[in-house]
Amino acid sequence: MIPESPFTRRRFLRTGAAAASAFAAAPFVLTAEPGRKYRTALIGSGWWGRNILKEAIASGRVKVVALCDVYANARETTAEQVTDLNGDQPKTYNDFRELLAKEKPEIVIIATPDHWHALQTIAAVKAGAHVFVEKPTGHTVNESRAMLRAARDSGRIVQVGLHRRIGPHHVSGMNFLKSGAVGDVGMVRLFAHGGGGREKPSANTEPPEGMDWDLWCGPAPLRPFNSRIHPGGWRNFLDYGNGQLGDWGVHWLDQVLWWSGEKYPKRVFSTAGRPISGPAVLNAKEQTTDAPDHQVATYEFEQFTCVWEHRRFAENNAEKHRIGAYFYGTKGTLHIGWQDGWTFYPTDDNAKILHEDSQLQQPDGHNLKLLWADFLTAIDGGAKGVANIEIAHRSSVLPLLGMISWRTGRSIQWDGATEQIVGDPEANKLLSRPYRGEWVYPAV
Amino acid sequence: MLRFPSILSLLVGVSVLARAADWPQWRGPQRNGISTETGWGDTWPGDGPPVAWKAKVGLGYSSFVVAQGRAYTLGHADGADTVFCFDADSGKSLWKHSYPAELGDKYFDGGTTGTPTVDGDRVYSLSRWGDLFCLEATTGKVVWSKNVQQETGARVPEWGFGGAPLVSGKLLILNVGEAGLAVDKATGNLAWKSAPKAAGYSTPLPVTHHGEELVLLASGQAYVAVNPATGKEAWRTKWVTQYDVNATDPVVDDERIFLSTGYGKGGALFKWAAGAPEQLTKVKALRTQMNTAVLVGGHLYGVDGDTTEKASLKCLEFATGAEKWVQPGFGSGALIAADGKLIALSGSGELLIAPAAATGLVPTTRAQVLGGKCWTAPVLANGRLLCRNSKGDVVCLDLRKK
Repeated sequence: MIPESPFTRRRFLRTGAAAASAFAAAPFVLTAEPGRKYRTALIGSGWWGRNILKEAIASGRVKVVALCDVYANARETTAEQVTDLNGDQPKTYNDFRELLAKEKPEIVIIATPDHWHALQTIAAVKAGAHVFVEKPTGHTVNESRAMLRAARDSGRIVQVGLHRRIGPHHVSGMNFLKSGAVGDVGMVRLFAHGGGGREKPSANTEPPEGMDWDLWCGPAPLRPFNSRIHPGGWRNFLDYGNGQLGDWGVHWLDQVLWWSGEKYPKRVFSTAGRPISGPAVLNAKEQTTDAPDHQVATYEFEQFTCVWEHRRFAENNAEKHRIGAYFYGTKGTLHIGWQDGWTFYPTDDNAKILHEDSQLQQPDGHNLKLLWADFLTAIDGGAKGVANIEIAHRSSVLPLLGMISWRTGRSIQWDGATEQIVGDPEANKLLSRPYRGEWVYPAV
Repeated sequence: MLRFPSILSLLVGVSVLARAADWPQWRGPQRNGISTETGWGDTWPGDGPPVAWKAKVGLGYSSFVVAQGRAYTLGHADGADTVFCFDADSGKSLWKHSYPAELGDKYFDGGTTGTPTVDGDRVYSLSRWGDLFCLEATTGKVVWSKNVQQETGARVPEWGFGGAPLVSGKLLILNVGEAGLAVDKATGNLAWKSAPKAAGYSTPLPVTHHGEELVLLASGQAYVAVNPATGKEAWRTKWVTQYDVNATDPVVDDERIFLSTGYGKGGALFKWAAGAPEQLTKVKALRTQMNTAVLVGGHLYGVDGDTTEKASLKCLEFATGAEKWVQPGFGSGALIAADGKLIALSGSGELLIAPAAATGLVPTTRAQVLGGKCWTAPVLANGRLLCRNSKGDVVCLDLRKK
C-alpha cells in the first residue's frame, strides 16, 4: 500500500475549502497582517484551556480580551494569570453567548467539555471568529458535521487540538513510516492503558460556590453535581465525554488517517464493559463514572485493520509501552508514543533498534506551541491548519462510531461519503442525541 | 545504681552543649517550621546521618509530631487510616489506632494528608473526611470521637480536610467550614462553627496582633482571621487559587503577612496594621503549593512550583520579595529550619542540610535517605530527624553528635 502524501491531501482540502467559503458572508474581512495581535477570548478556562492560552500568549500575537467559564474560580484565577503574564486585563463572562455578543473576538479558544464544542464553535464562527477547539470535535457525529458545515460557511479557520499532528516525533515517525523503512504495514494497534480498580460511588454535593452547574451541563443531561465530574473527571461520564476512546483514542486514530490517507473505515465493531470498575451508579445520593473500564474497537479499512484498546486496570508492566500506536510492517514494528517518542523494532535480528525522543512542552507533555503557531499561520493566510476541522472531523468521527457499535452491540457498516450507517436505523439515531431544555441540536 | 550518675552527667553535659526540643504540633513548637533545637550535627559525609530506625505506615503525606519520647503520624492501607505511635528513640511501635476511611486518590496517590497534634496526655487527629479523634497519648485509647463534617454539614473540600487540629486553651480549632470550627477539647462538644462552605487546607495559625488573639485560616476562597474563643470573624482577604487549593499557612512577621499558594497563583506581601491586611506587592517568584515557606533571618525559604512541574527550592528577601537564589530540581519537597540551618527533604528523598543564607545554598550534608515521592516536611525533635515518603516508608535519622 502506498499512503497518500499528506501534502497533496492538504493542498486539495485548501482548494476545496476556499471554494466553499468564497460566497460566505463574513462580518469582516481579515487580511494577512503578519505580526498583528488578534483579539482573543477563551471559553472554558480550566486546566487545558489555560495550557492553550499560555501558548497563545507566548506567541505574542494575541490580546486576551475575554475569558468565559461557568465556574467563577476558573475565570478569576485565569484572568489573574493573564494579567501576570502579559498585562492584559480580560473581561470575564459566565455565558459564552454574552461574551461573543459583547467582545467580538477575532480568535476564540474553546476548551470546554466535549458536549459544548459544537454549539460554541458554531456560535463563534458565526460571530466572525477563528476557532481553536479541543478534540474530539463533537460529542456525537452530527454535531461534528454541523461544526464542519459552519466552518465552511463562515470561511473561518477552525483548528482542532490534535497537537500530535505536528509534534516533532510524530512528524519524523510519519516520515520514517513513509520512507518504507517499516515495509508494508498491514495492521495498526492503538492503545492507552492505565491503572485502576473497583470504583466506589462518591457522594453528590452542592456545586461549589460560584459554579453555574446548569450551564455547565448545558445541552447535556443535568446530573447531580459530583466532584468526580468536575474538575476533569467528565471525560469518563458519557453524558459529557466519550471515555478513553473519545479522549485518547481520537489522537491515535488521527495518526492512522494521517499515515494512511484513508478518510473513513468501512466497518467498525467495538466491545467494552466495566467488569473491574463495577456497575455504573447514578442516584440522588451518589454516582460513579459510566465509561467502560476497557474497550476494544476494530476499524476495518480498505487495505488494513486498525484496533484500538484501552484498559484502566493491570497497568502495563508486561509490555514496553503504555500509550501509542504500533504500526506492524513487513520490516518491523514502529511504535509512536507520547513521552517515550518513537521506537522502531526491526524484524531483522541483526538490525539496530532505532529511536527518537519526544519534544514536548511540559508539564503536561503536549505540542500546543507548534499547533498554535500553525493556527496563526493559517489565519495569516499561509495554510489551512494541519489539524483543521476537515481533517479533525474525520478523525473525531472514528471514536464516536466505536461508541455507537458498543452501545448497539453490533458491528456497523459506515458509508463515509454520506456519513450514514448502512441499513441500521437504530444505530443512525445515535449519530445525534436529544438536547436538554432551551438548547437546539445544530443542523447538519 | 552506678548508671544513675552517669546518665545524669550525660544529660547535664548535653544541656550545656545543646538544647533539645519536642515538636508536638504541625510546623513545630512555634508553628513556624523552626525548631529551637541546637547542637545537632549538620555535617554528615557519604550516606548521611546514621539511621536510628525505620517503619512503614501506609499511604499518605501526614507529617510527624513528637512529644515526651513518642512520635506520631498517620497512614492509609486497605480502606483504613491508622494513627501510629512509636517510641521516638527505638522506633518500637507503642500503639496504633485504625478507623475506616476512603483512599481519596483523585489526581494523586491518596491516603492521609493531616497531621496529629499532641497536647499533654492527649493526641488529636482529624481525617480528610471529618473523623475527629481524641486519643490517650500513651495508650491510643479513644477518649472521644466524632465526625465534625457530618455534625455540621460542612463542605468537604476537593481533597478532604488537610489541616491539623490547633489546641487553643480549652478548645480545639479545626479548619472545617468556611472559617473554621471549634470543639471543647475535653469532650468534643461543638463550641462554635462557621458557614458550611469549603475550607482550605491550612492548619489554624494562632497569632497575637496588637494585643488581640486571633487565628488565621485558609478558607476555600480567602484567608480569614477569627477570634479563637468565639469564632467571630475579624477580617478576610480574598484569595482565589485554582480548585480552591489554599493550602499553606500565612507567614506572619509583626506587621507583615506573606501569603502564597500554587497552581500559578504565587504570593503576595501584605501590610497588617489595624483591621484587614493591605496588599503591598505580588511575589510571583514563590508559588508554594503545599508546604509553607520558612522565614529565617529576614529571608523566606520555600518550594516554588507544583507537583506537575519541576519545582525548585528558593530564597527570597521577605521585605521586598526579591529572589536571592534558586535550587532547580528540588521537586515538591519541603524544609524546616533549626539553629540557623535549613533541613530540606527534596521531592525525591534527598536530604540537604545547609546554612540558611541569602548568598546561596551550600549544603554541608547531602544524602539520599528515601526514594519515591516525598512531599512531607522532615521533623527534628531531640536530635532525631523523621522523614517519610508517600508510600509510608519512614526513616528516623540520628543527628546527635557523637
